[in-house]
Amino acid sequence: MTFWLSAFLFYMKQRLLLYLATLALLGGCNSADKPREAAQVLAQSWPQIEAAGRGQMVSMVMWQGDPLINRYMTTYVKPEVKRRYNVDLQISAGQGAGLVQTLAAEQAADQPSEADLLWINGETFYQLRQVDALLGPFVDKLPNAHLLDLQNPFINTDFQQPVNGMECPWGNVQFTFIYDSSRVAAPPRSFAELPAFLKAHPGQFTIPNEFTGMTLLKSWMMALSGNPALFRGKFNEALYRKWSGELWRVINENKRYFWKQGQTFPEQLAPLHQLFANGEVAFTFSNNDAEVDNKVNQRVFPASARAYVPAPGTIQNSHYLGIVQHARHPEAALLVVNFLISPEAQLQKMDPNVWGDHTVLKLSTLPAAQRRQFEQLPSRRYAPRREAIQNLALPEPDPEYMTRLFQDFRTQVIEK
Amino acid sequence: MRSRLLPALLGLLLALPFVLLGLLALAEQWRWPAALPPAYSLTAVRSLLGATDNDLLAGLGRSLLLAGTVAVLATGGGLAVARALARSTRSARWEAASYLPYALPPVLLATLIQPFIIRLHLSGSGVGVLLGLLLVALPYATLLLRSFWTPQVAEYESLARTLGCTSAQAFRRVLLPLAWPRLRTALFQTFLLAWFDFGLTNVLSVGKVRTLTVQVFAYVGEANSQLAAVASLLLLLPPALLLWLNRPALLRRPE
Amino acid sequence: MAASSSFFSRTLLPAYGLLVVGLPLAGLGYALAGSLGVAGPLAGGFTLHYWRGLGAQTGLLGAVLYSAWIALAAVGVAAALALWLVLGAQEALRRGPLRLLLHLPLLMPALVVAFYLFQLLSRSGWLSRLSYQSGLTTSIEGFPELVQDAAGVGIILAHVLLTFPLLTLLLQAIYEESRLDEFRQLTLTLGASGGQFRRRVAAPVLLGRAAPTLLLSFIATLGAYDIPLLLGRPYPQMLSVYIATRLQRFDLRELPAGYLAGFLVALGLLALIGLLVRLHRRHAL
Repeated sequence: MTFWLSAFLFYMKQRLLLYLATLALLGGCNSADKPREAAQVLAQSWPQIEAAGRGQMVSMVMWQGDPLINRYMTTYVKPEVKRRYNVDLQISAGQGAGLVQTLAAEQAADQPSEADLLWINGETFYQLRQVDALLGPFVDKLPNAHLLDLQNPFINTDFQQPVNGMECPWGNVQFTFIYDSSRVAAPPRSFAELPAFLKAHPGQFTIPNEFTGMTLLKSWMMALSGNPALFRGKFNEALYRKWSGELWRVINENKRYFWKQGQTFPEQLAPLHQLFANGEVAFTFSNNDAEVDNKVNQRVFPASARAYVPAPGTIQNSHYLGIVQHARHPEAALLVVNFLISPEAQLQKMDPNVWGDHTVLKLSTLPAAQRRQFEQLPSRRYAPRREAIQNLALPEPDPEYMTRLFQDFRTQVIEK
Repeated sequence: MRSRLLPALLGLLLALPFVLLGLLALAEQWRWPAALPPAYSLTAVRSLLGATDNDLLAGLGRSLLLAGTVAVLATGGGLAVARALARSTRSARWEAASYLPYALPPVLLATLIQPFIIRLHLSGSGVGVLLGLLLVALPYATLLLRSFWTPQVAEYESLARTLGCTSAQAFRRVLLPLAWPRLRTALFQTFLLAWFDFGLTNVLSVGKVRTLTVQVFAYVGEANSQLAAVASLLLLLPPALLLWLNRPALLRRPE
Repeated sequence: MAASSSFFSRTLLPAYGLLVVGLPLAGLGYALAGSLGVAGPLAGGFTLHYWRGLGAQTGLLGAVLYSAWIALAAVGVAAALALWLVLGAQEALRRGPLRLLLHLPLLMPALVVAFYLFQLLSRSGWLSRLSYQSGLTTSIEGFPELVQDAAGVGIILAHVLLTFPLLTLLLQAIYEESRLDEFRQLTLTLGASGGQFRRRVAAPVLLGRAAPTLLLSFIATLGAYDIPLLLGRPYPQMLSVYIATRLQRFDLRELPAGYLAGFLVALGLLALIGLLVRLHRRHAL
């Protein structure tokens, strides 16, 4: 078996090389197109970076499924960086493992990347570090970096990985339950109350089998353990086994009270939001504590929608901006990042009518007038106030917990 | 009676998507069990058309250009390849090979050919996308046009040549009119194939070739169903227009 | 043209081959190399780990069987519907409006169809609302489960909606090309009944000549992605969803398993295509 496979592989590789050679000839290979060294880029001073970046274009890859976020980028950020630096910001759709594969393939071919700037966090950051696709450390270079709240563990650590200047904080959010107050008078105030609540209100609750749902499972597992602090640091197999086992037991015991008797779960968050908007379920979830305001403002959710954080808390995390190791326009990307963490851009973004993404700046470093602007933003109407949930914030555990929960949720719950 | 009822029923079934999408696009706060929306608004239409700073119009242009190029290249190329195939001694083998691209499910195809497109220095460019789309569209057109090159057609051609036509004249005056109904189908179908493509275009261009489909596809199937409906209609309307313009040809019975 | 024909066969076919054979084979090779740990991000060198682990991956077999069921049911229903229309509604099909209407599904990409059916058929969807308003059902739960159901009814319906109109057009074209109407007159004068003509003559001719297209629809349905993602359940999964889950999800270490699944699925589809080519040859001209 082994011999046969390696022989076949060898044969395939020969053929592959042949095809590649022919294809490359056809494509008119341009081998002068080599990526620049990262160290060269970062050795420059800020005025040098500014001079080099001016007038270039920046290709930014991000998730593009939210019209408000897109509007913030295209009608505010894009014209602003054009005005300030004459930088032409081009935004394209992409995220997650697909993005990692693209960047890894570009590196394997030793070519400059088609992407300059990335919106990332958590496992994508982890994977991009694994394949060495990020430029850095660069955050120190940014003139606005001293405004960042880098003492805050929810900002300086991304899924238990120290950020270390390899990605720049952009926004900070916390996981919330969203419910329809016209249908549910008293939602469960804690994870401990959840099973009894499900029993009393069957068919109203489900767990999306994707990123947001996994954040829910992580928070629930940490709640069950009675001591969320246990989940700090590197992945702990014994700890995971013990408390994930408990989690599956609780979920399976109450499965029949879930939506569709727990025989199935939504594969994506968007359809769950649609079911919630249509009135089929009474609960949905968000990784952004202000999303409920944003969605009610867009009239997607009913005005009776409310968000809250059940005790003993839910996961709070930050999302970041990364620069590609072999970016064609790293200087211009640095200029854009510096603008995105400026007080003006952060303030604009934090308004629930614009996006509702919490700032990553340390407000005490700002001049009083500017600080007041942040404090006096049009307040959230349907989401809990930030100060009220800060003591209910749990840090993200190691990415491995999510990977394992995702696998085991399938084998232990969905396929049972 | 039956002959009236059936088209009516079928018409309803096939037109229903447009009705429901239209309602969803304008509906506000439309929840179970309301049969019709309690209120209508143009919010979603405006936010989609307004949010993209006229990039949408440019995207429409890019889509038309890309899909048009794919349609012309695939159909023209398909006609030529089909002819070469008909004359080849290994005709059957070539025909079988034409099915090869369809052995890779679309989800897989883009991921697997991307490393090669990158090595060809075509990643992020329109040419790379064109190559990827032709990979799917060219064999499609070839297979569709393969049956045109019958021995009978070859006889017509040689007859035309004996009567004094140059090969170019024979092609323009004899072969092209004969092939036209099929060519029109091939053009239409390969155009649609490129028009609706999201995966290949977005992956191979690393999001840089922002066709209309690439721009609005992210909204279809996102949380906001009003917006999803507007995006869907935006995708459907241009080809619907094409279908309408093309209707005399579609309605004519095959000879 | 004759002078340039040698040019065609010399350069056109090899270039064509490079594109339609070279690129997919290169992709397949990449998938194989990825499954053996020699290509792809984080490739750690040659390993048979993922091939050995294949026996434990019951999910792939489940996905194959489930996809086969969906594709068989969808193409079966679509073909039956198309046949019924062509044999039963010749009059209507020969007139304009219906022909034009049958082209409408061409305009709908799979994702749009999936979104539409989700909004139409889910328990809080439009049909459920209409049935509640007309007193047929009295609650959300009273409406039958038509999407995200165990049997995949929603996925099948979506594919039927996409396939049957085109199959109808195809069968109608074959009906007219094969001059089946003249055959019908003939069999009727010879004393056969209309039913006998449809069963013994028309149906076999139509299905026989449409066989390659039916198989092609079957293959296309097997590889469907957007529709099962929105209208299906996380378990069982259809093939493309199964592969994409492994290629696009959180864990890079699952990539080789994804490449392996993709490679095997492509081999399976290749075998089906081999069958298709044989069918084609039998029915050629």
